[in-house]
Amino acid sequence: MKKMTVKKLMSLLAVCLWAVCLLSGCGGQGEQSDNTDGKESGSESAGTDDSREMVLFTWEGMFPQEVLDGFEEETGIQIVYSNFDTDETMLEKLAQAEGGDYDLVIADDYIIETVVQEGLAQKLDQSKIENFGNINPLYQGQFYDKEDAYTVPYGAGIPLIVYDPELVDFEIESYEDLWDERLADSIALTANYRVINGITLLSMGKSMNEEDVSVIEEAGEKLKTLAPNVRMIQDENTQNALLNGEASVAFLYTSQVTQVLSENPDLKVVYPKEGLGFGIMAGFIPSNAPNSDAAHQFLNYILEPETGAQCFDFMGYYSTNIEADQFLENQDLAVPDTVTEGEIVQNVSEDAEAAYNKNWTEFRAACD
Amino acid sequence: MRKKRNWWTFTVLPLYAFTLIFVAGPLVYMIALSFASNREGYGVIWRFTSENYKRLLDPVYLGTFVQSLRLAFSSTAAIMLLGYPFGYFMAKLSSKWKKRMMLLLTIPFWVNSLIRLYGWIIILQTKGALNGVLLNLGLIEKPLKLLYSYPAVLTGMIYTLLPFMILSVYSSAEKLDWSLIEAARDLGANAVQTFFTITLKLTLPGLLSGMILTFIPSMGLFFIADILGGNKIVLVGSLIQDQMTRGSNWPFAAALAVVLTVLTTLIIYIYRRVTHTSELEGLY
Repeated sequence: MKKMTVKKLMSLLAVCLWAVCLLSGCGGQGEQSDNTDGKESGSESAGTDDSREMVLFTWEGMFPQEVLDGFEEETGIQIVYSNFDTDETMLEKLAQAEGGDYDLVIADDYIIETVVQEGLAQKLDQSKIENFGNINPLYQGQFYDKEDAYTVPYGAGIPLIVYDPELVDFEIESYEDLWDERLADSIALTANYRVINGITLLSMGKSMNEEDVSVIEEAGEKLKTLAPNVRMIQDENTQNALLNGEASVAFLYTSQVTQVLSENPDLKVVYPKEGLGFGIMAGFIPSNAPNSDAAHQFLNYILEPETGAQCFDFMGYYSTNIEADQFLENQDLAVPDTVTEGEIVQNVSEDAEAAYNKNWTEFRAACD
Repeated sequence: MRKKRNWWTFTVLPLYAFTLIFVAGPLVYMIALSFASNREGYGVIWRFTSENYKRLLDPVYLGTFVQSLRLAFSSTAAIMLLGYPFGYFMAKLSSKWKKRMMLLLTIPFWVNSLIRLYGWIIILQTKGALNGVLLNLGLIEKPLKLLYSYPAVLTGMIYTLLPFMILSVYSSAEKLDWSLIEAARDLGANAVQTFFTITLKLTLPGLLSGMILTFIPSMGLFFIADILGGNKIVLVGSLIQDQMTRGSNWPFAAALAVVLTVLTTLIIYIYRRVTHTSELEGLY
């Protein structure tokens, strides 16, 4: 009798362990979005006085705490900070909420194009944003918002090559140099399939937004030959690979470049001679935002020169606020003249999209 | 049974409702979605197409299934080799030590598996613990590149799934009638003969259910390949995730998921036919 109970307990334990393991695995993947759930329940419980609350939906770590606190002090409006980890997750959630739930979203250029097309954003009331004129015109009139009716740019990024000159015995000057066989098993790459396809196309003298499927396939073949040099592909904390010695070269997002340089100033940054990829982050107000007034106020607040400079210094992205440039502590974040030649990754046709996707899977499989 | 029907029968209704809403519902939705068309940019158009399945036949995507199966088979084989002796000898311990071993096996589960995998990064990285030890012992002169490789992923899989094999072999070996082994030895069988004729046969159900408990999750545990493999080993799971998020092609992701589900079901079916079991040892 006793033996029986022990066995039953054992079986139960095994089942529980199994379930826990599977669940924790899933939990891991959805880690970043957990905060959103927290936010939803939070806003529900505090939902009695909506006008005193603004739901900000963006990546983690986009604002210094002083800036958020400053806004709350100045206006009495409480900011509910909700995260997403990719633009696509943001679009999914925003579409499910039919443009509601969130008051202000900050995301990447290409996804905003889709958001506007889907009617999920509302036109800004510029009379409520006195500081609208502080925006650097370089970042205005872009493909995703040609009339500047929906968005306020908030930082620009340029993915760049960074390498450790102690471990690499030649000077890297271009994307093409990444294919050099001296770099075998030593490159860490970010995981944006369009950007990686894009730099391959740039190295061939083509556009990052190539639509011709045969050219994309050609780029795919070229990309596959990069595989022996790839040490790892990862979107988050890719810069750590350079610091912990896993990789000697990395292709990094701007924030990662800033971070890695602050930890190791001896690393070299390459502005590839084929041209730059270029990305803009911008804030927009969803079509059914519960508190669009507060969102306008917040946009105006972050466009103030000192506040803006604080934000860009904190994020480590290029300043999109021309009046803020003079207040930047890190003057590298003020736009150099060369940046005007950058190309922005845009949405492409479905055939081209499928080809880029296939290139990416083929490339990753070839890396094994 | 009929006579016993009373109001308590209704208490199982929530279970039926739960199964319908959260198991059958999503399954039907997934199958329907796999025949829908992808909308340019974002979303789904409900227009019938078999394009998603045709696209699957592309060698690149078939390759991910091969890769997933290969990883699942090799990790199951390794887990079997490690877990079987462990579970078997654990059953031979005194009841005091059995409890202690059980506790030791359970403790790691108090920590999220993702965090434990990051622990493996610290061990395996170029400037990590393992390389440090090997360098200090003078066994190697230059740090080895251990992380972001197939063996690293395999290590992670074995580490994560080993307890399931140990527990099911253990529960099977614990029931073993040791007097049968003594009898075999008395009648002149040597240790090897006894093992293959008595021990292995009687613990086979535990071993087989351990194999199922490790094989099925290992088809889906792609985050291990992402974290320890540096995203270089493309499994079906990570392809599905890619298509759901970055690739933004839900119908194709659904088609991949349907095929993966069918494949896994098929493997369980074959398992049942071969072993003539309908229940998993240690699971009833």
